[in-house]
Amino acid sequence: MKEPENVCNENIFNRLYEAHGKPVWRFIYFKCGDTAQADDLVQEAFIKLWQNCAKVTQEKAKSFLYTVCNNAFLNEVAHHKVVLRHAKRQPEKTNFHSPEFLMEESQFHEKLKTSLENLTEAQRTAFLLNRIEGKKYAEIAEMLNISVKAVEKRMSQALATLRKEIGNI
Amino acid sequence: MNTKKMEKDYLLHKWLNNEATPEELEQLKTDPEFASYIQIATASSGFELPQMDSGANFEAISNKLKPVLQLHKPNIFSVVWKVAAVFAVLLAGYYYTTTLDTSVKTEIAQTETFSLPDNSEVVLNAGSKIKYNKKNWDNSRELSLDGEAYFKVTKGNKFSVKTVEGTVSVLGTQFNVFARDGLFAVACYEGLVSVAFNDTLLKVSAGSKIQIENGKLAINETVENHSPVWLAHESNFENVSLPIVIKELERQYPVKITLENVDSEKRFTGSFTHKNLDLALKAICEPLQLHYKIDKNGAVHIDAKNSK
Repeated sequence: MKEPENVCNENIFNRLYEAHGKPVWRFIYFKCGDTAQADDLVQEAFIKLWQNCAKVTQEKAKSFLYTVCNNAFLNEVAHHKVVLRHAKRQPEKTNFHSPEFLMEESQFHEKLKTSLENLTEAQRTAFLLNRIEGKKYAEIAEMLNISVKAVEKRMSQALATLRKEIGNI
Repeated sequence: MNTKKMEKDYLLHKWLNNEATPEELEQLKTDPEFASYIQIATASSGFELPQMDSGANFEAISNKLKPVLQLHKPNIFSVVWKVAAVFAVLLAGYYYTTTLDTSVKTEIAQTETFSLPDNSEVVLNAGSKIKYNKKNWDNSRELSLDGEAYFKVTKGNKFSVKTVEGTVSVLGTQFNVFARDGLFAVACYEGLVSVAFNDTLLKVSAGSKIQIENGKLAINETVENHSPVWLAHESNFENVSLPIVIKELERQYPVKITLENVDSEKRFTGSFTHKNLDLALKAICEPLQLHYKIDKNGAVHIDAKNSK
């Protein structure tokens, strides 16, 4: 029987930071929309992980980090607008779009961006975790410590709000 | 209609979860509401976030952890050290107090009776001091005496009384030791004591007494009594220089005595009581043809009768 190893080991701790640092940071960013605050909270979460390293096994480390962030976020007052940037990652299927189409498309993106930024924190976090991070509902539920049904509800609400904001397309 | 909507909702979430088949997606797109959801959702995926500076944050974490770690570890140790220090102090205190010599001291006109750890009895005459070690008593029955004391020693291993004048060792007996101002007198009332002084070893048997003056044996004779007379509140001297007698008098009575024009070589044999100063002065002065008077301050002046 192998003892479940705790994280009181610099190598293990570094590996956990490599694996979870960025996702946790983005998770916080979806919530607060402030890079400085995301930096602070991600640092705090990992410091707490190290301080409690004896009590946290490697398997529990991930959920520990998200729990700490969730709790920290409950205490945070300052909520900022999320600043998103359109990456144009979508593959260009065609090169023969009309200028009008391109114009419309860029207007659409602009509107969508504003609408996303205006979503409530709960809707936005769930929606962007799914859309940008590609997380499944079950993962989101675990991260936010809510049920899958609640994630579904937030997703539906987010889509409905966005559609209304942008106007029927 | 409602079940249709519910079915589409189900498909939408399935698609958002990346689990829908292309056919299901096509089916969703037939509904304009869901088509727009899919367009919004697809476009949303094209957004990007600011990037975390992984290195800078890790450095910040490390920097914040350093003082925490440094504070943490010494804290644990300092607690251990504090506990250890308390124990060390307690232990040292216990050791110090238990190994510390016990001393018994009497003031002028006061005698003290006490028991040693082996139940040997000691009666300390006035103005004397005894020092011994309780802790080590079982191993070495040894005490130091300055003054006069009477010992009733329980049978056992060697019992030693150390004085500046010499050492008295016994096995189990009753004896008296007087050691002051160059006069060393040992009287044995039961058993056998050995007296060591100036490289000389003398055995004093029951009912004998020796008196050593300035390192020389002066008297070796028998004693009549079964215990020293000072236990009966009397002092007894035999051919002892006057100053020693006067000093003893000063120990038994709280008075200051001055000798005027008196030959300090005068020697006294006899006894005086501890209960009546006038009687005691008479007992000393009359045989030596000395005159005494007590002034209004209570001080005693002794001078030679013929000098008047």
